[in-house]
Amino acid sequence: MEQWHSHLLRERVDQSSLLIQGNRACALGALDAGVTFFAGYPITPSSEIMEAMAEELPRIGGVFVQMEDEIASICACIGASLTGKLAMTATSGPGFSLMQEALGYAIIIEAPLVVVNVMRVGPSTGRPTAPSQGDVMQARWGTHGDHPAIVLAASNVADMYRLTMAAVRFAQRFRTPVTVLADQLVGQMRESFSPELVGRYRLTSGDFDFTPGYIRPELAPEVRPPHILGLDEHPHVTGLFHDETGFPTNDPDESNEFLRELYNKVAHHREELCLYDIKNEGKGRVCIVAYGSCARTARAVWRLAEYEGLPVEVLHLYTLFPLPVEIIQQVARRVEFILIPELNLGQYAHEVRKMAEQWTTVIGMGKIDGTLFTPRELLDRIAELTGKYESV
Amino acid sequence: MALEIERFLHTERLPHIWCPGCGLGIITAAFLRVVIDLGLERDKTVVVSGIGCSSRAANYLDLGTVHSIHGRALAVATGVKMARPDFTVIVFTGDGDGAAIGGNHLIHACRRNIDLTCILFNNSTYGMTGGQTSPTMAVGDRSTTARYGQVEPPFDLCRLAEAAGASFVARGTAAQARLIERLIKEGIQHQGFSFIEAVVPCPTEYGRRNALKSPLEMLDNERTRSVTQAQAVKLTQEELAGKIVTGVLHLDEDAPEFQQAYAASARAQAERAGARVQIDMTQKLPVGEQK
Amino acid sequence: MLGSVAASFRPRFGLLADRDFVEVRLGGSGGQGVVLMGIILATAANHDGRCVVETESYGPEARGGYSRSDVIIAEAPIDYPKLDNADLLVALSQDSAQGYVKSLRRNGVLIYDSEIVKNPPAFAGATIGLPFSLWAKEETGRIQATNVVALGAVARITGVVSIQSIREAVSEAVPAGTTEVNLKALDRGLSVDPAEWETDQR
Ligand SMILES: Cc1ncc(C[n+]2csc(CCOP(=O)(O)OP(=O)(O)O)c2C)c(N)n1
Ligand code: SF4
Repeated sequence: MEQWHSHLLRERVDQSSLLIQGNRACALGALDAGVTFFAGYPITPSSEIMEAMAEELPRIGGVFVQMEDEIASICACIGASLTGKLAMTATSGPGFSLMQEALGYAIIIEAPLVVVNVMRVGPSTGRPTAPSQGDVMQARWGTHGDHPAIVLAASNVADMYRLTMAAVRFAQRFRTPVTVLADQLVGQMRESFSPELVGRYRLTSGDFDFTPGYIRPELAPEVRPPHILGLDEHPHVTGLFHDETGFPTNDPDESNEFLRELYNKVAHHREELCLYDIKNEGKGRVCIVAYGSCARTARAVWRLAEYEGLPVEVLHLYTLFPLPVEIIQQVARRVEFILIPELNLGQYAHEVRKMAEQWTTVIGMGKIDGTLFTPRELLDRIAELTGKYESV
Repeated sequence: MALEIERFLHTERLPHIWCPGCGLGIITAAFLRVVIDLGLERDKTVVVSGIGCSSRAANYLDLGTVHSIHGRALAVATGVKMARPDFTVIVFTGDGDGAAIGGNHLIHACRRNIDLTCILFNNSTYGMTGGQTSPTMAVGDRSTTARYGQVEPPFDLCRLAEAAGASFVARGTAAQARLIERLIKEGIQHQGFSFIEAVVPCPTEYGRRNALKSPLEMLDNERTRSVTQAQAVKLTQEELAGKIVTGVLHLDEDAPEFQQAYAASARAQAERAGARVQIDMTQKLPVGEQK
Repeated sequence: MLGSVAASFRPRFGLLADRDFVEVRLGGSGGQGVVLMGIILATAANHDGRCVVETESYGPEARGGYSRSDVIIAEAPIDYPKLDNADLLVALSQDSAQGYVKSLRRNGVLIYDSEIVKNPPAFAGATIGLPFSLWAKEETGRIQATNVVALGAVARITGVVSIQSIREAVSEAVPAGTTEVNLKALDRGLSVDPAEWETDQR
């Protein structure tokens, strides 16, 4: 399928490494994963994803539509998904807020879909041109009611490519929308990146095998059969609680079963869904748990820690939800401190604290000024923690 | 015929939730007669609806049916149609669903002139939520949120649709079942965005509050207020007040249809990209083969 | 980040050629093509088989506001993506020279357009002022080519990227139809005579 992405791949000619913007890498990942439908509405700092799709999709027989707002965008994607197409949309905070109701609709009707949120500093219009991780809990709980959520977080340009692919896979596998969180930095930076080498990252238990364009029901054996319009059936699809025939039900037992099944199809596959990378495993007194662009600082700290003689592990999370309970609890059992640097006021730290505080001390570090943590800031905090510990 | 439309109804789901005397069923039945008349294929005919009493019709139709969220049916339908141009896609919406919360999608669907048929059930109120004010409610009408009479002017949705670019615009009432059937049929046959306003009585939430005692009285009222366009041009502004102008109000058969224009442009791009792109744009991608 | 994979060896010579982690800041005002400069420099470094990160920042106005591009070039994958201390500052405006000189390392290199930066800031390291915009006008008749002229001089003086790679990167990045004029501009920069700047070095 290489020939399909002629322009995006122009940069790839004659070299195994290309310099590409994070947002374009995301579009490339989506196309390589078989996405053939994109509907969106422009918003900084995500518009380059949409622009790349507008350029590529029409000439590969796919569909690109610029809709009248983000609500219409996600709804059009849902419509396309119901016909069996792999659909994606991309936005930033204000648009992500508008999408929430429809996101819940996609969840309840089990429509596979990928939503990319390139985060800006919020709330409201906030600071569109600075990075933030302020939408983490919105990505988990933004739509109303109890519901499952799969949320991935990209930390570099290669992640924008491969996590978008992973999101497509998870969406099909679990018949649910998947959110990819990036931020202004990761989305708009250019970085050298080699698509050919992406296969070397082991991301999931299964290998990547994408059929362009279509949802593959066989990928989701343990999930309810899909409703695909035109696929030798004519299903009824509704956002009301429904039974296996797809028709509404108000029966308490059926309602209970319906929602639990929906929730558990994700919760029960945590092991498959939780992607992470751990550095210095078992060698730290402090573990930095980080995701997105903060994980870059954490990795820099991991490289520097040895020089500084600091006992540090780094747990880099690619999957934020479902919560990677097992690995966090493993880490919690062996380290004295878990340090969570975030570009928000402690959203994920709160989640980790709930899971880990019976074994260890969980410390959140928040930053909301639109800048990254520097390695120095983390190293100083670690020195303070470990030093303090020694003096106790 | 009554029996025949049952082929396209989930009879096991009946009785429906609608009140006795509600006009929604009349239009739904007319629509099903058109489905039969046109011989539409069950697997390639999709009804997308929003939320409201009118949108609930999707629950009873034995076709592909997508009961979506409040106001967004046209957006969902746009996705369905763009993904499967071979489908016949019909949107069922209400005056609240399609003209208030979904008003922006309505004007943009009209502007695109995408080949959808939108049937807007106009009962001048929010039936499902208990009779609140809708954007088509006349000045002076009463609702649970206009206790002392509506003071805002209403939309004329047909003029709105025409101005926004819809290439087929028509209006009928539940009192004229044959007319509405013909309008729906012409709308579905038309290539482009077809907007059909179906004026329907809501005796429970509208009639009761507005001195229209019975469903029959409401239908009668609709019938007496109806005038054809030919009659309407002869009336003065004052005489026209309170009248319902029915029939095909606007038709432009030459307006470019969105999906086709998109496909033509995409095909040209694919060709320009030359040998590198090997895809037959004219071929409809068969979903079934992916199983 | 996986840049070194296919790199055929491309020689680099210059003031910064031996550093295996180089942080470059390019500053100017909107409309001068500073961001494009950053992209070209980063592309060239990528062609050299090195790991690169390019980030940018600009004021709200498309023209006239400040504009900045930071490029980090390294032998190993780059984790922390923001510029810490610059090894090289290229300033195409008085404000950027003045404002960013503080971000330079003591052993860094400051290169500026001497036609525009009339009051170069005090800096202890190598300080090189060259009339890029004048050269651009003389060579191509277009002041817009100043950025590419400057890039040529930067490549020649510092060796942060190889000559071969910067030529390739310019051809790839500039709009079709302007390749020739831009390569001409690049060559003007590349042909900078060491005598023209060595005297300025302290
Ligand atoms: C976002 C949202 N807001 C409000 C509602 C509540 N609601 C359901 S139906 C409806 C009004 C429907 O009115 P209309 O479209 O005129 O349909 P009718 O019931 O009169 O046929 C409202 C406000 C909702 N479901 N979703
Ligand atoms: S409330 Fe009105 S619109 Fe709704 S079912 Fe009853 S009569 Fe019909």
